[in-house]
Amino acid sequence: MAMATAPSRAEVLSLLRSFLQAARKFSDYNIREYAARRAIDGFRGNKALSDPSAIAAAFADGMSQLEVAKRQAAVYSSYAPKTKSVMEVKMSPPERYD
Amino acid sequence: MAAAAASRLLRRALTPAVARRRFSTAAVAAETPPSPLPSATGEEDAGMVSMKGVRISGRPLYLDMQATTPVDPRVLDAMLPFYLSRFGNPHSRTHLYGWESESAVEAARASVAALVAADPKEIFFTSGATESNNISVKGLMRFHRARKRHVVTTQTEHKCVLDSCRHLQQEGFEVTYLPVRPDGLVDLDHLADAIRPDTGLVSVMAVNNEIGVVQPLEEIGRLCREKGAVFHTDAAQALGKIPIDVEKMGIGLMSLSGHKIYGPKGVGALYVRRRPRVRIEPQMNGGGQERGIRSGTVPTPLVVGMGAACEIAMKEMDYDSRRISALQERLLNGIRAKLDGVVVNGSLEHRYPGNLNLSFAFVEGESLLMGLKEVAVSSGSACTSASLEPSYVLRALGVDEDMAHTSIRFGIGRFTTEAEIDKAIELTVRQVEKLREMSPLYEMVKEGIDIKSIQWAQH
Repeated sequence: MAMATAPSRAEVLSLLRSFLQAARKFSDYNIREYAARRAIDGFRGNKALSDPSAIAAAFADGMSQLEVAKRQAAVYSSYAPKTKSVMEVKMSPPERYD
Repeated sequence: MAAAAASRLLRRALTPAVARRRFSTAAVAAETPPSPLPSATGEEDAGMVSMKGVRISGRPLYLDMQATTPVDPRVLDAMLPFYLSRFGNPHSRTHLYGWESESAVEAARASVAALVAADPKEIFFTSGATESNNISVKGLMRFHRARKRHVVTTQTEHKCVLDSCRHLQQEGFEVTYLPVRPDGLVDLDHLADAIRPDTGLVSVMAVNNEIGVVQPLEEIGRLCREKGAVFHTDAAQALGKIPIDVEKMGIGLMSLSGHKIYGPKGVGALYVRRRPRVRIEPQMNGGGQERGIRSGTVPTPLVVGMGAACEIAMKEMDYDSRRISALQERLLNGIRAKLDGVVVNGSLEHRYPGNLNLSFAFVEGESLLMGLKEVAVSSGSACTSASLEPSYVLRALGVDEDMAHTSIRFGIGRFTTEAEIDKAIELTVRQVEKLREMSPLYEMVKEGIDIKSIQWAQH
């Protein structure tokens, strides 16, 4: 099997950008924040990789994770609850005890 | 050129959460189609939720990870095909549906085994940690009923272990319920004294679900090996969070749970050592699935979910653990900065950081919880009984009844954000201050009166 060539810097940045776009599409507050944060931390953690095959492997892994993220963002949106998380409500009114 | 693009990208991605949230909420509002599902949560109009007499402005922020965890989207992605086209029974030997289902189950088994350094042949799938605990305790002792008549466990075990032991007592076995130290850890000398020649099983849970304390598994395993007793541990809260190695820890039987590691509910696993062989009597009889240990069709989607959750946990353990430790520190320091009289239940050093059980002095627990409806947390007593009895775990630690009543368990997980921690701090501090302001007991303490010395007059 031919060794995959390492992706270019532009390709890596494009993958990260696609990740962040996919993360924004999640309707769930916690998953959305996690996806963006984990993508950035993951890419930052792999920045120091120098071996081309390791870089290629990480890139391939990133591509398949991106597919997962896109699919799941669609699933989560299809079943999004009507009420958002309190974290997303801009000004929570004081609680009432009816 | 690329560097400028990179820094622009990172700067935009790292803009403060508020700015990003506004953008993302607007984007979601524009893209999300109206939900077609009937609302199960009472009235939901204009984003308000009304249930059980309380109205809140949105879904509460979730800090109850020990009760259950949300399913990781990567786990759901792995499970869905097995609910859609690959729906076969893994025990069907004659067609593709069965073969692909079986292959998925075996791959999941290998993932679970890898996370605990076991052999896949030693992993059996069950309906959850409760079932695995039942099989371990009752199954082992009943198999050895001729020669082994004694079980050693602790007072802080999960209810299913304690209840199984009580059941064994009714069958004529003897059980020693070891007390724990005030920090929640088991005393190794007491344990060594308690193990007898006819002790078949020693059961000590790895991470306690109520207080988060981590027991010294390696030492306990070594003790059990020396004395010839089988070491069973309920690792439901520990799997994927602290490193588990069945060899290093001398574990003979171990209960695992799917829904505590961002997997689906309804599935768990049981580890049974092969060398030296641990023999158990099956508790579910039937077609002999899972090598006769647990009959019943293995639920492929759930098992695949548990396998995926274990794989993810293996990769993410370091990252999650670092993050969660930082969040726990933030939570504890944030609360302590504004409130006094805050006690951490259980040892702070030997603890899984995602579990923080706090008692607030001079505050009544139920009223504290009633005021924290925007934060989903649990109190000490709720897990185990429908009554208002304070938790038996806290009682075993020697916590005073009034402090046990005010205990709150904060559960931090993979998806918890800093903003949620900050909001939880703000809401908790506000509610505790409000209650203390109303409390005459607190006034007396502030004036220097010792509560315990008061002679309450009878009316």
